[in-house]
Amino acid sequence: MELQKFTYENRITRLFMNATILWGIVGMLVGLIIALELIFPHMSQNIPWLSFGRLRPLHTNAVIFAFVGNGMFAGIYYSTPRLLKTPMFSELLGKIHFWGWQLIIVAAAITLPLGYTVGKEYAELEWPIDIAIALIWVVFGINLIMTTIKRRTKHIYVAIWFYIATFVTVAVLHIVNSIAIPVSFLKSYPVYAGIQDALVQWWYGHNAVAFFLTTPYLGLMYYFVPKAANRPIYSYKLSIIHFWALIFLYIWAGPHHLLYSALPDWAQALGVVFSVMLIAPSWGGMINGLLTLRGAWDKVRESPVLKMFVVGITAYGMATFEGPMLSLKSVNAISHFTDWTIAHVHIGALGWNGMITFGMLYWMFPKLYNTKLFSVKLANAHFWLATTGMLFFAIPLYFAGFTQSLMWKQFTEEGYLAYPNFIETVVQILPMYYIRAFGGALYITGVILMIYNLIKTAGIGKFVSSEDDEAPALHTHKHEVDKGHRIIEGKPVLFTILTLVAILIGGIVEFVPMFMVKSNVPTIASVQPYTPLELQGRDIYLREGCYVCHSQMIRPFRSEVERYGEYSKAGEAVYDHPFQYGSKRTGPDLAREGVKGGPIYKPDSWHYNHFLDPQKMVAQSIMPPYPWLITRDLDISSTPKKIRVMQSLGVPYPEGYAEKANDDLLKQANQIAQGLRDGGIEVEDTKEVIALIAYIQRLGTDIKKTE
Amino acid sequence: MTTLDNHPDKKLEEYEIDTLTNKRLLKDHEYDGIRELDNDLPGWWKWLFIITIVFSIFYLVRLWVFRADDLIQAKEFDKEMAGAQASKPPVAEFQISLLTDAVSMASGKETWTKICAVCHLVDGGGLVGPNMTDNYWIHGNTVEDMFAIVTNGVIEKGMIPYKDQLSPKQRLEVVSYIINEIVGSTPATPKEPQGELIN
Repeated sequence: MELQKFTYENRITRLFMNATILWGIVGMLVGLIIALELIFPHMSQNIPWLSFGRLRPLHTNAVIFAFVGNGMFAGIYYSTPRLLKTPMFSELLGKIHFWGWQLIIVAAAITLPLGYTVGKEYAELEWPIDIAIALIWVVFGINLIMTTIKRRTKHIYVAIWFYIATFVTVAVLHIVNSIAIPVSFLKSYPVYAGIQDALVQWWYGHNAVAFFLTTPYLGLMYYFVPKAANRPIYSYKLSIIHFWALIFLYIWAGPHHLLYSALPDWAQALGVVFSVMLIAPSWGGMINGLLTLRGAWDKVRESPVLKMFVVGITAYGMATFEGPMLSLKSVNAISHFTDWTIAHVHIGALGWNGMITFGMLYWMFPKLYNTKLFSVKLANAHFWLATTGMLFFAIPLYFAGFTQSLMWKQFTEEGYLAYPNFIETVVQILPMYYIRAFGGALYITGVILMIYNLIKTAGIGKFVSSEDDEAPALHTHKHEVDKGHRIIEGKPVLFTILTLVAILIGGIVEFVPMFMVKSNVPTIASVQPYTPLELQGRDIYLREGCYVCHSQMIRPFRSEVERYGEYSKAGEAVYDHPFQYGSKRTGPDLAREGVKGGPIYKPDSWHYNHFLDPQKMVAQSIMPPYPWLITRDLDISSTPKKIRVMQSLGVPYPEGYAEKANDDLLKQANQIAQGLRDGGIEVEDTKEVIALIAYIQRLGTDIKKTE
Repeated sequence: MTTLDNHPDKKLEEYEIDTLTNKRLLKDHEYDGIRELDNDLPGWWKWLFIITIVFSIFYLVRLWVFRADDLIQAKEFDKEMAGAQASKPPVAEFQISLLTDAVSMASGKETWTKICAVCHLVDGGGLVGPNMTDNYWIHGNTVEDMFAIVTNGVIEKGMIPYKDQLSPKQRLEVVSYIINEIVGSTPATPKEPQGELIN
């Protein structure tokens, strides 16, 4: 059998590794900043781009797409050629992939703090960046799939299955969820509205967790754990079953983010059961990871790499058990909108993604520099800082979430809310926010130790830019007939197509009825499009990221109806491009903020004062001030275009209204501003705050018009 | 303990054995040095998967076929509200007259600070809502007048009704607190008088 010679290119792996470390520390530091902003609301010093609502999307995007994204690519570019016995298909595509991805991250890091956002969680980036993501993702996909075609091994290993599923599914998720009509270079409206938009968004959001944070990292686990432990994978059969079950079931589970919302019962039920059915397939991955270490536990004690893998995989097991539990309606009724969710996702991010990434870096760096790790002691210190940091982060937030939820729901014996003022429930949990920030700081300290350790490692070693290997050509393999799953393992293109089919089914079954069957979004005749001023105000609401702290979804519970007003209906949000239901209540729900005589109504002058200085109105509030809303002029030149785009999306403004819209806008603005001036507040008609007040006072009011 | 020599598997030649766990390694399964074992799915794992699938089928059948009330959230909500209505204590005889005892004042102050101060400020000087320290009144200054305002609000002016958020007792306490403690005090930044002078 003739052996062919070829080389593995290590430079691309090194680029991705360095980017992982750089963006990792950036993303985590932004996280620490916003954790502190919750304790010290004036920390942002009235600088718009430092405010919580703008930095929180930067934190989530940086950690998910920049830190974990580069981490996955580093691992994939290292492991794929070695598993397939061939160099990556194209060095050029690899470079385009790397630099394109970094440019996207830089674009995100600039646009998000400046307030350019679509207003959909984890999909905030505006349309030109979305297009760039799609293109670069396809570049990555071509490079990956072509490498599998060019391989010298007969079959593709389970790690590669997970990489393929990642590429295919993220492409589908990103493109479908990001479809939008541009208004200008950095402004667009999503084509979906209200509950339909919510369903698409959480199909995306949930599966971004599944296929960006989970499947690629399972692939990395399948490569780096057996390599680092020098042990065989525990069970090939388990690999097959849990892979297909995981990717098929995961895609259905998005509706569990919308339990007790305006989503129809049948769709909520799908979210519940598919989440519950995910326990075993998720744990299949955990078992295959942990049991691969059977017979090597003595090594685990000595190796910081393996220790990190073990904690990472254990965190994965915890998070994937907790996830289905949170998807049970009775648990979700308590956990949703609270810090419980924040704790849950950080077990995944800090534990699973963080630890696997660190372990991988500690393993790859010495390999690429042909030396030993500079200091095992420092790596062990990192391990303990990361583990305790994670616990100090999560445990207080579990406690905070549970406590606050119970306070929201508690009634007095006479039948009144025990804590009618939302701020009481915030003050109660503030100490937990201090501990959380401390936990985050510990975790980051560990990362700094790692950076030092890796720089030192690079210093004592010499970079191996490429490695030679040899293997027989693919066609020289013995012509044994494959059976069962081995057949598709030998046909990567077919494998890719089957993966695509498996991940399309769930989405189609949920979307088609939601978009085609009218009864799923019952019409409410009195619901009208926003006035031009309200529409402009809504865009300010999006820009400032109000949705990261305020929900607009009153759930059908007595405690919420008493606190906020009538529960939210699907028909109320049909002109909401995008929906703004939110997922967290750091502040109160705003779905019925505008209902006069409703339990949380406040007059215009209150809102004006509150935006200027929240603590003046609610002494203990943790909301930051928004003084720039009061000084900045509203840009009304965009109004006609915005109306026209809304019309193209089916929002029934009268024909030719776009040209007249600003007349109405100015009239309404004058009315509101005059009201404020009558109350002694000096404000001009044209300021941004007027538009935002108009929007806030519209919220939840349409449904009342018929009564 | 089984060893390579006495391993129960007869087709030993088709397999290699992992010496650390004494389990079979799959032939031809090797990728960059990574081997795979031929272990079966753990029994408890299989049962866990089966149980979750059975649970799911039951769950969906209960909703889609039997329309179980506890899975239809509109019905669940109606039930919760009906239950709350039924368990509400009967409205006791209640007399609206000024309270002065220390306990009521403390409780009144708590409600004032938590709820009223959001618009009238803690010292009562007024900001969004009117100044409560002076003797100018828009809607009257008797206990009855003020109790009615707190209860029903003045919706067009932005004062919301508190009948669903504060018990009658709490409302009377806070009104008494205003009359006893706030009226006549000196706030830091008093709002200009509104309404008519009543002495």
